Amino acid sequence: MNAAAPASRAFRLLPRTLGARLVLILLAGLLLAHALSFGLLFYERAVATRSMMLTNLEQDASVSVALLERLSPAERAEWLPRMERRTYRYLLRPAQPGTPLSSKRAEQVTELIDASLGHRYELRPRAVSTSPERYEVELTLADGQPLTIEVTPSLMPIARWLPWVLAAQILLLAACAWLAVRLATRPLERLADAAASIDPAKTGVVVSQDGPLEVAKAAKALNALQSRIAAHVAERMQILAAISHDLQTPITRLQLRLEAMDESPIQERLLNDVSQLGQLVREGINYARSANVAKGPAVRLDLGAFLDSVVGDYQDTGKPVQRGEGIEASLQTHPQVLRRIVQNLIDNALAYAGSAEAVLRKDPQGQLCIDVLDRGPGIPEDSLDAVLQPFHRLEQSRCRDSGGTGLGLAIAQQLAQALGGRLQLANREGGGLRATLVLGNGE
Amino acid sequence: MSHTDHVLVVDDDRDIRQMVGDYLRRNGLRVSLAADGREMRAALDTSDVDLIVLDVMMPGEDGLALCRNLRAGKHRNVPVVMLTARDDETDRIIGLEMGADDYVVKPFSSRELLARINAVIRRARMLPPNLQVSEAARLIGFGQWRLDTTSRHLLDEAGTAYPLSGAEFRLLRVFVDHPQRVLSRDQLLNLTQGRDAELFDRSIDLLVSRLRQRLGDAAKEQAYIKTVRSEGYVFCQPVVLIGEDA
Repeated sequence: MNAAAPASRAFRLLPRTLGARLVLILLAGLLLAHALSFGLLFYERAVATRSMMLTNLEQDASVSVALLERLSPAERAEWLPRMERRTYRYLLRPAQPGTPLSSKRAEQVTELIDASLGHRYELRPRAVSTSPERYEVELTLADGQPLTIEVTPSLMPIARWLPWVLAAQILLLAACAWLAVRLATRPLERLADAAASIDPAKTGVVVSQDGPLEVAKAAKALNALQSRIAAHVAERMQILAAISHDLQTPITRLQLRLEAMDESPIQERLLNDVSQLGQLVREGINYARSANVAKGPAVRLDLGAFLDSVVGDYQDTGKPVQRGEGIEASLQTHPQVLRRIVQNLIDNALAYAGSAEAVLRKDPQGQLCIDVLDRGPGIPEDSLDAVLQPFHRLEQSRCRDSGGTGLGLAIAQQLAQALGGRLQLANREGGGLRATLVLGNGE
Repeated sequence: MSHTDHVLVVDDDRDIRQMVGDYLRRNGLRVSLAADGREMRAALDTSDVDLIVLDVMMPGEDGLALCRNLRAGKHRNVPVVMLTARDDETDRIIGLEMGADDYVVKPFSSRELLARINAVIRRARMLPPNLQVSEAARLIGFGQWRLDTTSRHLLDEAGTAYPLSGAEFRLLRVFVDHPQRVLSRDQLLNLTQGRDAELFDRSIDLLVSRLRQRLGDAAKEQAYIKTVRSEGYVFCQPVVLIGEDA
């Protein structure tokens, strides 16, 4: 239990995306491995260099000291440079003042020199510098001249290009890690994007099935799932359409029979019921068809004239529908579908408010909008989305007599989507409802 | 007037067929019944029919096919009222494109059907068009406009569509069906009465002014619809029928 908390905290420190996490892990691992192998290499090299130096010094010291003993003091200086090696040299002077030897290595070297010289000299070693590490071993030649062996143990100098190579290597590692991660996560991202943009009514392959095997498998599963959903949606709509359709004939019969009866209050009420039944069936069919509406050809439509014609049709039957002040614009669209949406919105306004006003305008984003406005009771804010659902009715405030099957707005919503637009509902200041059909950017 | 209008009711549902027939008979019409296309053709061949009530959804030959064939045959002038199953703009257009004169959506009331039947017969009697526009062309050209008769759009020269309201369209149709001919307000009112005319009569003058506005007719110089003082209106542009592909 307790262990989980720090673990999750550590997890939270990781970057959010899978890609970044993978890059981080890969890069850290590779860099660590790289650093380790470099360290090993340097250690090996240090050991090798030292043993080489010791071997050289061991062989060298006895010969050099013997040579210097033979040479006359005048000739000695001349020979010194020839005996010089990278890590040690001979100097004809006493050792500089310093401290006693501190490192084990220096003692080792001194012992080595001592052994190599056959313990015939008295050696006076001292450390003269710690950084770089340097110590001098002083002895006195047979003629009394002091000789100092200056030892500077150091590694072979590193080539100047080595840091660049290192940097290049790290870059290469980073690039490879990034590429690998990209290879792994890109198809995943594509899959996610494709899944997000799936149209629930579409069938067949909607997500590309190529990419790595695992992703292809996921895509395939997603496509299969999508097909099942689409089949479900289609079946639901078909059932609704079939039921509604088959109901039409019996309802027609019922209505004709009722009309043939003698007039009475009961007949009137029954006719009323039948009329509601008929409306429900019609709307049911319309809703079932709205998901897959036959749009007909798109034409360039003058929206002002369009609204005039819709409003005119209402006015000609005595309905209080007005065209409000607005802009003029035209749009490439499907007039029949658009008419159906606006009629549904106006019917809704007429049912609940008794009158309606249609306005063409542009919203702040420059998108063409048709507003249908009323001064009715409006819709509670928390139900604004719900009323777009099929068969949803606000029973408390809107009684059944106000007509409507609860499908009008759902149909309008579906059709708006079919046109590539959307439907928005909002309560107006001062009361009433504003139904906005957003149509996108006209020219 | 001794002539009784003869209506042929074509519906595959026996009850609906008979009930509609009974109702129409009670309201003074002569009625024949047919259950399918075969019976319909037989009835047409044996007697004069003034109007056909045709159900769209029928097994075998459906109403749309029957209507199209009817328009291609020798009974092409018989008006048709369709009984459509669906209240959908697209279906209405298909029905009218196939040559139906009007339609009633199921489930319908018999009173509504009777009103439509009477309106269509009256329209056919009133003033036979001098142009057989409804069958000849989808597009009618006049002045700088074209009228799309199926979608009820005016098209300008750039092809932008200006939709007309039902009443405006019917009025314009009357005008372009009778160009260069003075039409009285009464004639126009009768010919223009559409599906819902019984609910509300809009004065012809108001409709004409709306139509003029839509056509871009200036108040002083009326290029399309001229007022003939104390007589009525005349459509003064030559009318051209444009083929399907235009």
